[in-house]
Amino acid sequence: MSEGNFVQIAPLMREPGVMEIKTPEKLKPSTNGAQICGIDVGSTTVKYVLSSASGEVISQAYERHNTKQAEKVLQFLARLEAQHGLEPKRDRVFFTGSGAGLIAPLTGAKVIQEVVAVAASVERLHPGVRFVSEIGGEDMKTIFFNGNEKTKSKQVLMQSACSGGTGTFIEKTARKLQIPPEQLSEMHYTGHTLHKISSKCGIFAEADANTLLKAGVTVDEIIASLFEAVVYQNLATLTRGNTPSPEVLLLGGPNLFFKGLQEAWRLHLKRIWKERKVPMPGGGDPESFITVPSDALYYAALGCVEIAMGEQPHVGVYQGVKQLHWWIEEGQYEEKKKQGRGGLCDSEDNLRTFIDVYSKMDATAPGNAAANAAEVSVAPKKLDRVLVGCDFGSTTAKAVCLSPEKELLFSCYALSKGNPIEDARSLFRQLREVIGDGEILGLGITGYGKDLLKGILGADCGVVETIAHASAGLHYFPDADCICDVGGVDVKIMILKNGAVSDFRLNSQCSSGNGAFLQGVAERFGIPLSEIADGAFRAQAMPQLSMGCGVFLQSDIVNQQRKGWQAEEILAALCSILPLNVWIYAGGMNNLAQVGKKYILQGGTHKNLAVVKTQVDFIRSKVPDAEVVVHPYSGEAGAIGAALVSLDWWAKGGKSEFRGFDTIEKLTYTTTTSKETICNWCPVTCQRSFIDVELPGGKGRDWSKVPIGVGWERVIVNNSCPKGLVEDVNEMRVIKAGIEKTKNAFPNIADMVRQEGFRRVSASISA
Amino acid sequence: MQTWFGKKASGGSPPPSPRKDRSGLRVGIPKVLNVWSTSQFWVGFLRDLGIESENIVFSSDTSEEQGREFGKGRGTVDCCYPVKSISGHYGELIFGQKKKINIILSPMIYSLPSFMRGHVSETLACTRVMAGPENIKAGFMKESDVFADNGIKYASPFLSMAEPEVVPKQMYDCLKDIFGVDLAECEHAVEAGYRELRAFNKKMRDASREIMAWCARENKPCVLVLGRPYHMDPGIGHEIESDLQAHGYPIVWLQYLPIDDDLMNWIFGEEIKAKKIRSALDISDVWTSSNSSNTNEILWGAKVAARFPWITCVLRLSSYECGMDQPTYTPTQKIVEAAGTLFFKFGDLDSTKPAGSIRIRIETIVHYLAKYSDQIIQKKLVLLPPDCPLLAGKEKTLAAVASNEK
Repeated sequence: MSEGNFVQIAPLMREPGVMEIKTPEKLKPSTNGAQICGIDVGSTTVKYVLSSASGEVISQAYERHNTKQAEKVLQFLARLEAQHGLEPKRDRVFFTGSGAGLIAPLTGAKVIQEVVAVAASVERLHPGVRFVSEIGGEDMKTIFFNGNEKTKSKQVLMQSACSGGTGTFIEKTARKLQIPPEQLSEMHYTGHTLHKISSKCGIFAEADANTLLKAGVTVDEIIASLFEAVVYQNLATLTRGNTPSPEVLLLGGPNLFFKGLQEAWRLHLKRIWKERKVPMPGGGDPESFITVPSDALYYAALGCVEIAMGEQPHVGVYQGVKQLHWWIEEGQYEEKKKQGRGGLCDSEDNLRTFIDVYSKMDATAPGNAAANAAEVSVAPKKLDRVLVGCDFGSTTAKAVCLSPEKELLFSCYALSKGNPIEDARSLFRQLREVIGDGEILGLGITGYGKDLLKGILGADCGVVETIAHASAGLHYFPDADCICDVGGVDVKIMILKNGAVSDFRLNSQCSSGNGAFLQGVAERFGIPLSEIADGAFRAQAMPQLSMGCGVFLQSDIVNQQRKGWQAEEILAALCSILPLNVWIYAGGMNNLAQVGKKYILQGGTHKNLAVVKTQVDFIRSKVPDAEVVVHPYSGEAGAIGAALVSLDWWAKGGKSEFRGFDTIEKLTYTTTTSKETICNWCPVTCQRSFIDVELPGGKGRDWSKVPIGVGWERVIVNNSCPKGLVEDVNEMRVIKAGIEKTKNAFPNIADMVRQEGFRRVSASISA
Repeated sequence: MQTWFGKKASGGSPPPSPRKDRSGLRVGIPKVLNVWSTSQFWVGFLRDLGIESENIVFSSDTSEEQGREFGKGRGTVDCCYPVKSISGHYGELIFGQKKKINIILSPMIYSLPSFMRGHVSETLACTRVMAGPENIKAGFMKESDVFADNGIKYASPFLSMAEPEVVPKQMYDCLKDIFGVDLAECEHAVEAGYRELRAFNKKMRDASREIMAWCARENKPCVLVLGRPYHMDPGIGHEIESDLQAHGYPIVWLQYLPIDDDLMNWIFGEEIKAKKIRSALDISDVWTSSNSSNTNEILWGAKVAARFPWITCVLRLSSYECGMDQPTYTPTQKIVEAAGTLFFKFGDLDSTKPAGSIRIRIETIVHYLAKYSDQIIQKKLVLLPPDCPLLAGKEKTLAAVASNEK
């Protein structure tokens, strides 16, 4: 097959279209030899190659299938029959790709594993190739060829469980950045400053890209960094100690269409070759050993043809499109019913009983207040002696009052304005309404910025989130073994032993399993948050979604929609896999039985009863006699816990340092947002603000770039990570000096081993 | 207490002569795995062979940067990060030195000179750890011999360090051509190595004893770390214990707990008398298949933590997918918690320091330490004889312990 047989293929994401090849006279299909058709059904496109019996290519094309794989294959086959005389019972068809298994049997075709297919065509077309990288829409593969001729062996590495390093990874972020496809394919890698983008998860990469964009990094630099992340992920996870040696072949849509990705590969490969002194065959220019063939898309389909020629003539004989037609019209819907599972509840009665029991657990739900100890939003009378707990969250700030007998007397909240001083003022104005000149015995605060606010409010206890939640959970359910908190953006699992948090899981590596994902899908369907549960409960059946990566879950959902599943059914399916994502995929807890028997569910996502139902079912499937409860004050648990900790402190004789309502109301502060307040700990360079508060006894910051005198304290806001709470290297020095002093006073044997154990080391290590 | 190595003659005799001049040889040792608990053996051994102190080069602490810069793509299919990280150490010794080294010495340690030898069935190293050097070497030999390409000889002696009598021969077999040594030289150098190691271990144990004595005198808590020796590597254990130290808690590690007779008698004497155990280092009451050296020591450390009043909290460190640690999770936790001692596990440690989650966890632990330490000390003191030997010694401040060791 010569180069001349191919036309230049337009980038994938422009108008998809068929690239017909002018069939040379001599290749006209002959009636005495069967034609061979190789079809590659991938995650985003379908490609076919039609060849004569002897392997000459007659026609090839690709199109996006938009998750309608079967329909696209049918369209292709019909066209091949009409235009190229593809004939049932005579010609042969071979399928490959992730969608092949389902479609092939419907047409009489044989399935070839995709890596085998790619390897077959590579071996024939490029006998000198030692390394192949094929990046697809949702997977990535590498093939290493070792040895020569008879001893030639290949090592195949593939990953398809996670979006990191795949085409989707790039496209998803590009879409978010509103880069049109034709522009994306022309964007460059070389010559741009690179930034750190998570190469592991597409959803986090998107978040990283967003942060970079907000910080003013140009779109070109972000895309270049994405290309870097993809190549890094491929090299880091799929080479496993092998050096990709020349000659290298880059295949698949992303490698073909994204110029920048090719540039990134070239840079990295040439660097590795130089570092490892890999000799170039014949001493040529390294550049010439990296090839992206213009038909890079078709290698799997071509491989099918290649393999077909070696098969017996009766294998893969084409049976026409009748069956496939039936499948599209009827079969897939029947299958939908068969594959899908029943609704979230097996019977109306059971559902009613469940809702009856669990809707009463949430004390803050409308109509439930009477069933519980206190009506908490409005205190009946002025409060006398109380303990106050505040929880400064990223979206809301909450406060509660407890009596010394641990009774919840009052709760209030303020939507966060991004300025903790104003948030605190808003809370304390509401508290003053009910406390008046009553006495605050102790003040505990938790959440974001607790350490900074502690001094300003005169709080007695700064309580870490885990302790706050555990204290609140254990107060209502003293025998609990585990607290599962599913919030909007994070998942926290706390395992309790002897009344203490003995272990906990905080999901920060992967976006799978959090509430925001569920909400996002519902929003796309136009279903408000409050109605997700009702909708999900109405579904009589639901599709089976796969646990794991949120990026793939999104395409899985589209796929299920095409099969005819409705919004409510899909939401039910999402609710039903949420526990799997929470406990197993994100939490990494395979043995729930070891955790214990009593589980508390809290956090905003558990206000959704459909999620509670699936959580209860999941936990009971692992621990049949488990008791699962929903925290009565799910949203206020943090504040209640902070108040309880301050109560302990007061009971031991603590005297509150609370500065008083007047002082908080009259706090004088200035806000500085300038070049000097930009955070320089990482390339994101958040534009922070410094809020300086006048406060008797304030230590001041004379070393700062924005100095404040004695009698002032600083609160830092608008940072996107905890590191930003430290002003700069100057403050780090002050903090480190303090830590060093403590460390010198309290020795650590490991420090001594690290210093003494390797003595006699010369100081000449250059690293 | 009579220990197995105590029977050997100590004090150095002059090295056998004539000796080859090795003053120009530079030897690099990857600072990984069980080198962490045998480092001073290597220093003593090499110096006795005539290698100059400044020519003994340990690679730096493990770090992600080291792996990225020197080890990228040379890794192997191994989920054990302490093993995987060796590729970065090798790379650093090959490419990261201003002054080139001549030999990389990366021992495959089969068994360890544990202080528990004689009280347990065996003191073997994890097989994966033992074979780690060979595993990683492959990544540097696959296409071409990277060591030879850079003028470096690679030496990886297979060592039964628990049996000092066979070590000289094992050294000789591996090193005779590389260092040009004879058996007598090896015997002498091995002896010197063990001597250095014993001296170092004693010094660390004494320091731990001082810390524990301070705790006893002041009635203040300390924290015990239960981990493998290489968790002291800041890139493997992520210095998690340092964050507790920064809150004002002294830290001891099980590897260097004092094993003096008086203290052991105070802690375990009653149980020995009651014939529950044969000696203070006997762990057959909690762990019957006592073959793995580090595992044995971890189990013993858990027993000490459960009994010693002023250890009120245990930090358990474990690397991702560690098959050796897996069966010990529940037993160690149960042992430690038996008398109310706090137990916190940092499992699945890998290349990245999970800084955010560590911070929250440390704050959580500090809260419980402050809340429960007094109760725990009182509860455990009641279970022991009244006369704690740590209260008899002369007083030393903690700062003095720390500065003395520097």
